[in-house]
Amino acid sequence: MASLVGAYAASHGPLLVREWQAVPEDQKRRLTAAYREIGKQLSAAKADVLVVVTPDHWANFSLDNIPAVCIGVGESNAGPPEPWMKDFPHKEIPGHAEFAGHLVEAALREGFEPSVSHRLKLDHGVCIPLWRMELPRLPRIVPMIVNSIEPPFPTVRRCLEWGSVLSRAIKAYKAPLRVAILATGGLSHSIGEKTMGAIDEKLDKECIRLFSGKSEKLLAYLEKKLPKAGNGTEEIRNWLVAHGAAGGRGFELIDYLPVPTVIVGCGFAAWRLTPAGSRRAAPARRGTSVRRRRIA
Amino acid sequence: MRDYWLSKLFFDLQTPSVAAEYRANREQFFDKYSLGEPVRTAIREDNVPFLGERVNPYLLRYYFFAIGMKDPEFIRRLRDG
Repeated sequence: MASLVGAYAASHGPLLVREWQAVPEDQKRRLTAAYREIGKQLSAAKADVLVVVTPDHWANFSLDNIPAVCIGVGESNAGPPEPWMKDFPHKEIPGHAEFAGHLVEAALREGFEPSVSHRLKLDHGVCIPLWRMELPRLPRIVPMIVNSIEPPFPTVRRCLEWGSVLSRAIKAYKAPLRVAILATGGLSHSIGEKTMGAIDEKLDKECIRLFSGKSEKLLAYLEKKLPKAGNGTEEIRNWLVAHGAAGGRGFELIDYLPVPTVIVGCGFAAWRLTPAGSRRAAPARRGTSVRRRRIA
Repeated sequence: MRDYWLSKLFFDLQTPSVAAEYRANREQFFDKYSLGEPVRTAIREDNVPFLGERVNPYLLRYYFFAIGMKDPEFIRRLRDG
């Protein structure tokens, strides 16, 4: 039986690459440490497969066809198409066709109908976090694209439910596969809108707080706030998938910092996989350098 | 409201070879993508708000980044027209 060995979230944004030199040193240090922390945890978890929940920034889908959810079932996917991602070290990114196919079939049995792709271009939304995590070994990547770019979007409730579907599918997979989940994107940001550049720190902190409480309150808050929170903020949907997969037990905040230079409220989190107070299923943290942060 | 052909043009321009052709002969693309005259004028004039009403914001940003407009100028035009 396969097992979920980690669930994480990390922000992304083109300017984390294109404007990296302009990021203030203290923020660079924190961003670097946060990505590395997730990389360390993921490495320690010895994940065979990493399901990356991500938007598609127009790399694969156009107005001709925009799936609400698409799962990459190919043996391999292409690295990032963006010219400014040319230094990303992987031009081909191995997938896990058998597990991805199982995931699709499990979803269909539960009344969830994802689109499938046998070859996706994995854009910066996937590859910036993978790059910055500095993984010594890249697990096989199963992309799960959730549309948060071009309306209409899947509801936040549906995204949370997708997480539960993922969790059950992992448990039902017969081979002893170690599966982790990485949600990328968010927190607040606005791209190509009049509010471009705005970061809603208050919203971000409230989201972070609500991820540790009842899911209904979190969903109600997001349903109300997301439509007016800046289009990039819609990517919090991906965090909901991870949240649902991890059983909704809340996460350890690795770091949160608004970074005006990259115009993103940057959040990093590792979900609790076992009930609070019990021994954690997540890997040991020895040697990590990031202190868990509390939001004021 | 989305302008399908304008969106399609901006989407296709993400392919470097297509972008190179576009830079070499922009007007030819206007015909190829059946763009209406107001849209052609807006492209010629880098009219960010006009185009922004017709394409996805991410594609809008991509296009103006690709033609060399810096983010501060892009944001200024988004806000002030």
